[in-house]
Amino acid sequence: MSASHGEVLQGTLDLMVLKTLEAMGPLHGYGIAQRIQQVSKDLLKLNQGTLYPALLRLEQRGWVRSKWGVSHNNRKARYYSLTAAGRRQLVTEAARWERMAAVIAGMLAESEGT
Amino acid sequence: MDRLRIFFSRAWGFLHQKHLDEQLREELQAHLDALMEENIRRGMTPEEARAAALREFGGVEQTKEIYRQQRGLPFLDIALQDLRFALRGLVRRPGFAIASVLTLMLGIGATTAVFSVVDWILFRSLPYPHDDRLVSFGLLAPIERDEFSLGAGYIDFRKEPGSFEAITSMAPGTTDCDITEQNPVRLSCAQVEQTFLPTFGIEPMLGRNFTPEEDRKDAPPVAILSYGLWKSRFGGNPDVLSKTISLDGKTAQIIGVLPARFEMPTLRPADILIPQALDETQQRQSAPGAVLRTFARLKPGVDVTQAIAVLQPWFELAVSGAPPEFRKEIHLSVRTLRERQTSDARLASWILLGSVFAVLLVACTNVANLLLVRATVRERELAVRAALGASRARLARQSLTESLLLGLLGGAAGCGLAAILIRVFVSIAPEGIPRLQQAGLDLRVGVFTLVVALASALIFGVAPALYKPSAEIMMGKEQISARRGGSLRQILVVAEIAISIVLLASAGPLLRSLWKLQNAPTGMETENVLTEQISLGSHNFKEAAQQVAFFTDLEARLKRFPGIRSVALSDSIPPAGQMRSTILVAVEVAGRPALAEGTGGPVGWRAVTPDYFSALAIPILEGRAFREEDRLPTENPIILGETLARKLFPGESAVGKQLRLFKTPDGPWRTVVGVAANVKNDGLQTNGDPEFYLPWKNDPLINLRAGYAIVRTRMNPMSVASWMRSETAALDATLPVNIETMSQRVGKLTERPRFNAMLLCLFAGIAVLLAAVGIYGVIGFLVVERTREIGVRLALGATPQSILKMVLGSVALCTIGGAMLGLLGAWFCTRLLESLLFEVRAHDPIVFGVAIFALVAVALVAAWIPARRAMRVDPMIALRYE
Repeated sequence: MSASHGEVLQGTLDLMVLKTLEAMGPLHGYGIAQRIQQVSKDLLKLNQGTLYPALLRLEQRGWVRSKWGVSHNNRKARYYSLTAAGRRQLVTEAARWERMAAVIAGMLAESEGT
Repeated sequence: MDRLRIFFSRAWGFLHQKHLDEQLREELQAHLDALMEENIRRGMTPEEARAAALREFGGVEQTKEIYRQQRGLPFLDIALQDLRFALRGLVRRPGFAIASVLTLMLGIGATTAVFSVVDWILFRSLPYPHDDRLVSFGLLAPIERDEFSLGAGYIDFRKEPGSFEAITSMAPGTTDCDITEQNPVRLSCAQVEQTFLPTFGIEPMLGRNFTPEEDRKDAPPVAILSYGLWKSRFGGNPDVLSKTISLDGKTAQIIGVLPARFEMPTLRPADILIPQALDETQQRQSAPGAVLRTFARLKPGVDVTQAIAVLQPWFELAVSGAPPEFRKEIHLSVRTLRERQTSDARLASWILLGSVFAVLLVACTNVANLLLVRATVRERELAVRAALGASRARLARQSLTESLLLGLLGGAAGCGLAAILIRVFVSIAPEGIPRLQQAGLDLRVGVFTLVVALASALIFGVAPALYKPSAEIMMGKEQISARRGGSLRQILVVAEIAISIVLLASAGPLLRSLWKLQNAPTGMETENVLTEQISLGSHNFKEAAQQVAFFTDLEARLKRFPGIRSVALSDSIPPAGQMRSTILVAVEVAGRPALAEGTGGPVGWRAVTPDYFSALAIPILEGRAFREEDRLPTENPIILGETLARKLFPGESAVGKQLRLFKTPDGPWRTVVGVAANVKNDGLQTNGDPEFYLPWKNDPLINLRAGYAIVRTRMNPMSVASWMRSETAALDATLPVNIETMSQRVGKLTERPRFNAMLLCLFAGIAVLLAAVGIYGVIGFLVVERTREIGVRLALGATPQSILKMVLGSVALCTIGGAMLGLLGAWFCTRLLESLLFEVRAHDPIVFGVAIFALVAVALVAAWIPARRAMRVDPMIALRYE
């Protein structure tokens, strides 16, 4: 699977997870995966398993916290939610991403122009 | 901050692996279940739904693996895994494990034990704050081993101590003092200046130091107790400060108790400190004054050379005040306190430490050899692991983990061995090794052992860690062969042999020197001679007449016993030193001018009763021994030692000549009545120092308070000991006596060289033994590995002799290489021994020859067994091998 087929770039997954949690509130791993798939309109081929190491990484940094709870269909599930630090991180991370995207868009436009 | 948080989170994960694993499994399962349900809802069959869910999820096990790495501490995880693997490996091959651990135990145990003893001599700080700034300073004269100052000069210097932060003085040695109230005991008292404790930075544990007023002549007596005395006599009672103690009949107020860790800078035991009360006017009148031990604390940043420069003007002044004949032979000396305390033990300590490290090195080499052999055996396993993706670093790490595990096991076993060895050392060690009683396993020694164990593990672990299986073996194209790694193993054997030779060549001269020392003639017959050392208390025996009466009474009582051949009294006995001494210029010959300049060197003397010469069987070469009449106050005979007689009267007879002693113009002229053969007086290494004898009688020159009774018996002298003790007790029951045979006293003088030689021999022995085991192991393995080749050779017509030659040849090569290296090392190392030797040269060709011969013999014997096995290889079996 190459990047052109929608593989998730390193680092962007963290941002997607943070944004999802901000938009949806506390959510379990399955819910986060479904949401990302849905928003990306299935353009993104997410290996759902990779979500878990990412969640652990975010938790270790103190950006999300997790709690065991019960899902809507009465199953035991681990719910992740955004912390205050996570919110701040989302703001800086999003800003950086936008700057980056702008730069890349600019470069692409230029190269198309020549 | 973030890193710390991540680390803690990971550490948490590392410690709760099981629980977290379970949670992760549940979480992932829930995710998969949800995916499956969704798929079923879309209309798939359960099997299709499951397959699709797994596809969408990606590898479950892979996720778990990545997750785990993220969660815990992968470094530690791998280390633990390696450790488990290493442990399993050791348990699977107990023979290998036991051999390695035992070898390391020997090496590390011996190293730890020696370190725990020499640490106190070489490295550990003395029990005074900033001990590196404490020095002993003063004059050094030929008759005195340690530096001293003279009263008047010291008082001058004390006024302007220059670059010293503090200076202090004490009376040389300690004096006997008696507690004269109920339960009288003999104690040793140290007379110290009021500045003594502050200079050494010692605060009394209870009470206070002397005040300057108390340190004056005729001040009311005060005393500071040692911790030991406070505990034993006052039961550790804090009320002690309100009590008095009756010392030699005078009542002294107790004003303080010293801390438990306190020790005198001279290392002599002292029970009580009393003020020195140095009187300035008296010292000036009797200039140059009393002999003092003087110590100083340097200012921070001042070193010994600077201190010497500062002291130089004072020294010139002090020397100008000294008797003129002394001036040329006096030096200024400033030594650190450690140097003063350990001077003659330092070299021996370094040598022992060096040799025990050499043993450790041989032990490490042996273990490295064993590990290499094992690595060869395990080559295929390693190859498989490499093929399965283990990186070279990973394999090296695994191998190092094994080495570290072995090192730690060996270190733990070594600690046990060291505990035993230290006990042995302490029980067999001679007197005079500083702080030996304190040696033991403590935290500091424990840390040392740990470091040594880890360092050894690195030393013996490096070679096997670098060992890499080749691709050929992995593919089964190449036989496992002993030749790979073989050259490395041979180098290790060469190192072992070289180190062993260095140790043997160092132990050899020490042994020869010991042998010569023990057989050195002492100038007397020590068999069947019993000596009793007596020191009279100053309270019960105040007057000289009382002292003379005691000793003559004792003499008469001892003479009455059957089986006694002769009884003598003297103020000192050979050969352990402590005799009185004067200088040659103080011996004036009638009708001859005094020596032009210089002291002429020290001359020893002792006072003896007439039977002294027969009791010790010292031959009278000329003239006669003393007679009973010589003990009359009117008689002034003198007997010269052979050396002194030759020196004073070269080429003529000394008998009948007149001498006047001790530079006393109004003293009596003494007639030489005889010349006695030389006796070793100051240790066994001296040879015929000048000496003379005076008759033991009531004379102010002679110290009558302390002396020896010497008894020559017809039977085993120890059988007389208890009777001697009871005869003494009949005269005064409170007198402490010390009864020893003359042979014991002489034996004590060789204890120290014997201890050094014995340890070095022990270490050399262990090294040779280990080297033999190493050679045996390497050759044995070589033969096993080459069994097939040997079989082929035999089948093609090689004779067993040629096989033997082939195997032994490879040993000979190692041995010759090792011997050459060893000789080179021994040449440098034995030079360090020179000052410990007696009548033996350090570079002794015989010793070198014997060392090499011994090792070659050991090497050949060790190789012989496997070589013979090679000779007897059955070609048929060998060819079917593998």
